[in-house]
Amino acid sequence: MATEYKLRMGDGKRLFMTKEQIVADLKEGMADAADLGDIPDLSEDEIDKLVEIITMPSRMVGVEQGMEVPVTHDIGTIRIDGDQGNSGVGIPASRLVGAMMHERAFGADTMELGHIDYSYKPAKPVIAQEMQTMEVCQQNMIVPLLYGAMPNMGLYYTPDGPFENPGDLMKAFKIDEARESMEHSAKHLTRDIVWIMQRMMASGSDGVNFDTIGAAGDGDMYASLHAIESLRKQFPDIYIEAGMAGELLLGMHGELEYDGTVLAGLWPHQQAALVAKAGANVFGPVVNTNTSKSSAWNLGRAVTFIKQAVKDSTIPCHVNMGMGVGGIPMLETPTVDAVSRASKAMVEIAGVDGI
Amino acid sequence: MSNEEMFKQLSDAIVSCKKDAVLAAVEKARDEGIPPAEIIEKGLAAGMNEVGVLFERGKLFLPHVMMAAGAMEAGVALLEEDMPKDAASKKLGIIVNGTVEGDVHDIGKSIVSTMLQSAGFEVHDIGRDVPLQDFIDKVKETNADMVGLSALMTTTLQGQKDVIEMLKEQGMRDGVKVMVGGAPATEAWANKIGADCYAENASEAVTKAKELLL
Ligand code: B12
Repeated sequence: MATEYKLRMGDGKRLFMTKEQIVADLKEGMADAADLGDIPDLSEDEIDKLVEIITMPSRMVGVEQGMEVPVTHDIGTIRIDGDQGNSGVGIPASRLVGAMMHERAFGADTMELGHIDYSYKPAKPVIAQEMQTMEVCQQNMIVPLLYGAMPNMGLYYTPDGPFENPGDLMKAFKIDEARESMEHSAKHLTRDIVWIMQRMMASGSDGVNFDTIGAAGDGDMYASLHAIESLRKQFPDIYIEAGMAGELLLGMHGELEYDGTVLAGLWPHQQAALVAKAGANVFGPVVNTNTSKSSAWNLGRAVTFIKQAVKDSTIPCHVNMGMGVGGIPMLETPTVDAVSRASKAMVEIAGVDGI
Repeated sequence: MSNEEMFKQLSDAIVSCKKDAVLAAVEKARDEGIPPAEIIEKGLAAGMNEVGVLFERGKLFLPHVMMAAGAMEAGVALLEEDMPKDAASKKLGIIVNGTVEGDVHDIGKSIVSTMLQSAGFEVHDIGRDVPLQDFIDKVKETNADMVGLSALMTTTLQGQKDVIEMLKEQGMRDGVKVMVGGAPATEAWANKIGADCYAENASEAVTKAKELLL
């Protein structure tokens, strides 16, 4: 009987596959990315290397010596204190303690201060507390500490916000009205992000992390790019990290453009150029995990997309790796076998600058 | 311009999602003497299928599909003027046609209605997202010979089966033929649920209706 290796399904379930099956799935995942993104396949050598990483006998793997990359944590400040609903471990601790533990105990290279209600809009009414916490953290820490939140443009639509919900308008076939609603929301979102960051910068923040850009579609991306542009102008030295929500920028609006490029339908390698143009320092590309495919299929696909994003990006790429992204199974606490293998593949094959 | 080129132009106009382009292409095709049924099926509907493919691949999005759908409706409306409303002085039969509950896709269903009508049937198009009981009520009210059930989603296909069951329960099944259609429906599905026929497109719907009712 052929040797079988332990893998995972995209939903985390244990899976046994032969080498031939692994290669077939890797190639199928790769072909899917190449087809959708109109990008090249991986080379035979790269596929061999992926097989090698997947079939390594150790439970956990690491990058080759000398290939270490910086790791950044989003919302890590509340990963200690937060409960499972917040991807945390539920140990009572302040945000300062959370941030310092990541810096001093876990080796995080940069950190982010985030509010438990992790979007820009809800940070507005608690801005004084956010400013004070940023100041205290900065006084106690050495690694760069950014302020981070999700643009989350959906919060500007009814019933959460002032503008009529485009989903409802679309259902009534009111396309123009839906688009107007998105355009208004985007303006407000840009304004809010800039307002919040002006205050956080005044409190000593080293920069800003845009977490999950595009979650509400192309309007969300439009607003974020304009916020990045404005912040870069106001604070020439601000460190800006622009992380995406998903691999494909959905065209909820469909016609919004930035710098002459239509935003709807952009894949990671195409998003990179716009993020750099707007003035970000780091791009955080995302590839989504398909839960009904094997980790080999997902990794083959994710590495193909990210390799091209790294190639086309003029700024460093810190790939998003976590539950349900980057070839990692969709689990609240993803398994170390899958996380470490996917991370090693991203660094050694896709060539990412950070995670 | 050859007919093939004209069909391509019609299809491209739908893919552009622009109503003006579609109307212009339809006018041109009409001037070239292409029959309305062909303009719709080989040109506009082919374009709509392409829109579906591009939507699945993330090249076009919901607002685009809605715009293409609006453009297609306008194009078909323009052609309806050309189609004889009362082709035969004596009606070939009475047909109730609609899209089942939960499903708002009505472009294909409306084309089927138009073609059946111009072939000489008396058609009562009861619209889209139609509560299932309404099909039964309309059949009773019009004393229809046939009911057409359209469903465009795998999730709404079941509605076709439910209407057939309701017709049986209400003792009406023997008096009315059932024709099903829509992209996810198939010949096998029609057999399985006990429909009288399935048609893949509007012209086939006309042929099948004639077979069953004449
Ligand atoms: C246009 C379109 C829309 C338009 C519809 C506008 C309108 N007024 O009809 C809009 C934008 C509103 C829309 C909405 C949605 N859509 Co839509 N839509 C399509 C699309 C791209 C084309 C359909 C079409 O008009 N084709 C052209 C016509 C001419 O062809 P046709 O409908 O097949 O009809 C022909 C034959 O089937 C037959 N026929 C049709 N009816 C009947 C009836 C009888 C009796 C007979 C004999 C024959 C027959 O003859 C017709 C003429 O030749 C299809 C993809 C596709 N390629 O089919 C998706 C598709 C049908 N939609 C889909 C979905 C999921 C949706 C939405 C849920 C939106 C979303 N989340 O993406 C909503 C549905 C809301 C609801 N509750 O119904 C899915 C369905 C998936 C599934 N599970 O089956 C599809 C397949 C796209 C996809 N791959 O995701 N959609």
